[in-house]
Amino acid sequence: MTFYQREIIRIRSICYSNKGQIETVIGTRHYINNNFDKELNLNLLSHIRFTSKFHLLRLFKKYYGLTPKQYLTNKRIEKAKEFLKKGVRVTETCFATGFESPSSFSTLFKHREGLTPIEFQKRATFTKSV
Amino acid sequence: MKVKVIGVPVQDQEKALEFYTSKLGFIKKVDVPLDKDSRWLTVVSKEEQDGAEVLLEPSPNHFKPAKEYQKALFEAGIPYTQFNVDNVQQEYERLISLGVEFSVKPTEMGTVKIAVFNDTCGNNIQIVEMR
Repeated sequence: MTFYQREIIRIRSICYSNKGQIETVIGTRHYINNNFDKELNLNLLSHIRFTSKFHLLRLFKKYYGLTPKQYLTNKRIEKAKEFLKKGVRVTETCFATGFESPSSFSTLFKHREGLTPIEFQKRATFTKSV
Repeated sequence: MKVKVIGVPVQDQEKALEFYTSKLGFIKKVDVPLDKDSRWLTVVSKEEQDGAEVLLEPSPNHFKPAKEYQKALFEAGIPYTQFNVDNVQQEYERLISLGVEFSVKPTEMGTVKIAVFNDTCGNNIQIVEMR
């Protein structure tokens, strides 16, 4: 057995021995993945997994290193980029990915990607055509 | 600052290019001749061709500590770097069918599943799936 294989076993026993907690956070992540286009909040997510919202927040952060809200935003931005690359209009992309308004979507997108959704789309289309 | 390139040391760039493209499915992005047997050679993921480039750098052949570090990591079974996949089990089976050797079979590690293979260029590479 290599050093790395021993480390896998050691770290797994320290960090991942609580199967119930792991199932809870994995279930929450999958729920977010399948419902990113809808209105999601901690109340709803914790209700679905039968936990308190602060417990879920703490668990999610412990296992994924970011809060459910941060994870959801990442997922929405990732999906928005896919839509924009396919040529879906900005307003349509905004609502299809669960953002509340085109202006808050554009501001957040620019903050994260360094380009507005329109600029991003133009650049993606240009790259494809070259 | 932006992350555009991550380096992976390889003992033979031509062999590495063959492995990373024909087995792993990456695409050659940049290939600039430098010294007589060295190139600035990068590959990218087929699904993310504007994403970060993997630089297949011949450092073990030119810098002894790089060679020793690569060897020590390899012998300890430690991955030099890792790539994300949608499904580790499927990727494992696909790579096994292409003759790739694994030192860690698909293994669940809490919120991820991992596996580790030999890139035939001196490195262990880990594939990861978010569960």
